[in-house]
Amino acid sequence: MTERHSFAGTYIVLAVLLCVAVCASAGIGAFTFTPRDMASYIGQALGWIPLNASDTLGRNVFFGLRLPRVLMSGLTGAVLGVSGTLMQGLFRNPIVEPGLAGTSAGAAFGAALVFVLGSGTMLAFTTVLGALAVPFLAFVGAFAATMLVYRVSSSFGKVNVFTLLLAGIAVNAVCSAGTGFLSYIARDPQARNITFWNLGTFTTADWRGVTIVAVCFVVCFGWSLRSGKALNALMLGEDEAALLGFNTDRLIMRLLLVNTIMVAAATAMVGVIAFVGLVVPHVLRMLRSSDYTFLLPASALLGALTMEVIDVIARLLIPPAELPVGIITAVVGAPVFLWILLRDNRQGASGFYG
Amino acid sequence: MVELRDVSYQIGDARILDRVNVSFQPGRFNVVLGPNGAGKSTLLRIATGLATPTSGVVIYDDRPLESFDASELARKRAVLSQHVSLAFPLPAADVAMMGRYPHYDRVPTPLDRDIVRRAIDVVGMTDKRNQSYPTLSGGEQQKIQLARVLAQIWNYDAPREGEHRAHRYLFLDEPTSSLDVHYQIHLLDTARALLDYDCTVVAILHDINVALEYGQHFVLLERGRVALDVDHADAIAQADLERIFQVRAHRIDDGERGFWRFSL
Repeated sequence: MTERHSFAGTYIVLAVLLCVAVCASAGIGAFTFTPRDMASYIGQALGWIPLNASDTLGRNVFFGLRLPRVLMSGLTGAVLGVSGTLMQGLFRNPIVEPGLAGTSAGAAFGAALVFVLGSGTMLAFTTVLGALAVPFLAFVGAFAATMLVYRVSSSFGKVNVFTLLLAGIAVNAVCSAGTGFLSYIARDPQARNITFWNLGTFTTADWRGVTIVAVCFVVCFGWSLRSGKALNALMLGEDEAALLGFNTDRLIMRLLLVNTIMVAAATAMVGVIAFVGLVVPHVLRMLRSSDYTFLLPASALLGALTMEVIDVIARLLIPPAELPVGIITAVVGAPVFLWILLRDNRQGASGFYG
Repeated sequence: MVELRDVSYQIGDARILDRVNVSFQPGRFNVVLGPNGAGKSTLLRIATGLATPTSGVVIYDDRPLESFDASELARKRAVLSQHVSLAFPLPAADVAMMGRYPHYDRVPTPLDRDIVRRAIDVVGMTDKRNQSYPTLSGGEQQKIQLARVLAQIWNYDAPREGEHRAHRYLFLDEPTSSLDVHYQIHLLDTARALLDYDCTVVAILHDINVALEYGQHFVLLERGRVALDVDHADAIAQADLERIFQVRAHRIDDGERGFWRFSL
């Protein structure tokens, strides 16, 4: 914070790159739109310029498929980046992310329950209820899994990192066994859905999903932005944070809740995407600073940027089909993470960034 | 003045503190002494509000501790612990700035920055203020932590006309146990200098000779009770030390002051 003025430069660079990535992502694909096309569609939709009948197909593809997808991937990236930052702050450990602490797997299990068992019952309700059933059960699953991991790993108000990792492995195993069982008993189209969705995909993005994730993200991100100082203080330890006037118990509960809501909403819509929450804060720490008042907004920007780029790659790699984004994030993210671990081991550093 | 009135602390059947009555004198260097397991750390946790006593009350300047809200209390007292490590790298100056967190909301004011700059100057770390905290030596890290707690209860500014300077409290929890003699003296001298600025110091110290040199009020704990509560080092008798610490004590005088030599 002593160099806050220079953080502004990083925000601006990330924001500009994000704008470029959003425009590129909106233009590239089976249908290619030039910036001129897009500007004209938006102008027509807003009523600034008269509707052009020959643009109807392009307009429909742009507004019905492309735009929600672009927004969804950006929002999901922002959610995962911020979530990784929050969890690393909470657990004071640089290798924690929603995939590790059971949050994503719990959400996946909750959502799979609705996919498989709910088709006959829950989705038969009104469309509104049906629309909310997946995110709601995803939240219940994510919260239960995260709380279980947290409860097991914390005793006397302290988080034990090794127990955390082991508890995360156990809870992840149970959740994926549950999801696996559901896809086993599911009839074919559902099972295929679960498989795809377990790998993360933006193909199903629609405006309803974008709205749900956007509302959850804005509310939760706004709330977590106020915790930057507290997360910094938590780096010193729970006692030191308490001595600086922060209510650590309330902080931990609040951040777990905020984090779970965001991740559950995103996971319910696009599936499980690993490693983004891990790598994004990592990169920011190396490039700039570990100050959470910087990391929180910056990880939203870099998370969104990363996801836009990965989504474009997913669309371009094996046309006309596309790769599930979860595969790309794992293929890119896991080696990067291993490389960081190796490098730090060789340097004999005491911490991950020592 | 910080007072503990009839404070007891119990975990299960174990009574850690047993009806302790202590008052830490304002403007003085108060020292808490005692063997391992006597309840010194628990006493400090209760006095600073980290732990709630099973029974009894803690009073700060005639106000019960519970009546303070967390950040109000954080502006009144600070605690320097033994060793604080950081899982992530932050510049030393950012760590010191954490001491101002209870004072500002989102962005530090110019006053906050000024105080941190001066606190870092007081501990002599100005040339290393931008270095990453985890790369500093143990002694340097402790200096930065000292700068952080100084910034938290900064009281060096002269009060304005007709204004009363609020009293502050600095607690030291065995702060020198991993430091070499240079850092030890530097830290305790810095703490002692605070006494002239309406600050009270309460320190848990292990080295009895160091404690006797700096202390101006002594509380000796023995199995959760106050065994001795005296204002002068001379009032601590050889028999007290031998009984409380289970050692043989021998006094040496170099003409200026007395030292104790201990053996089993």
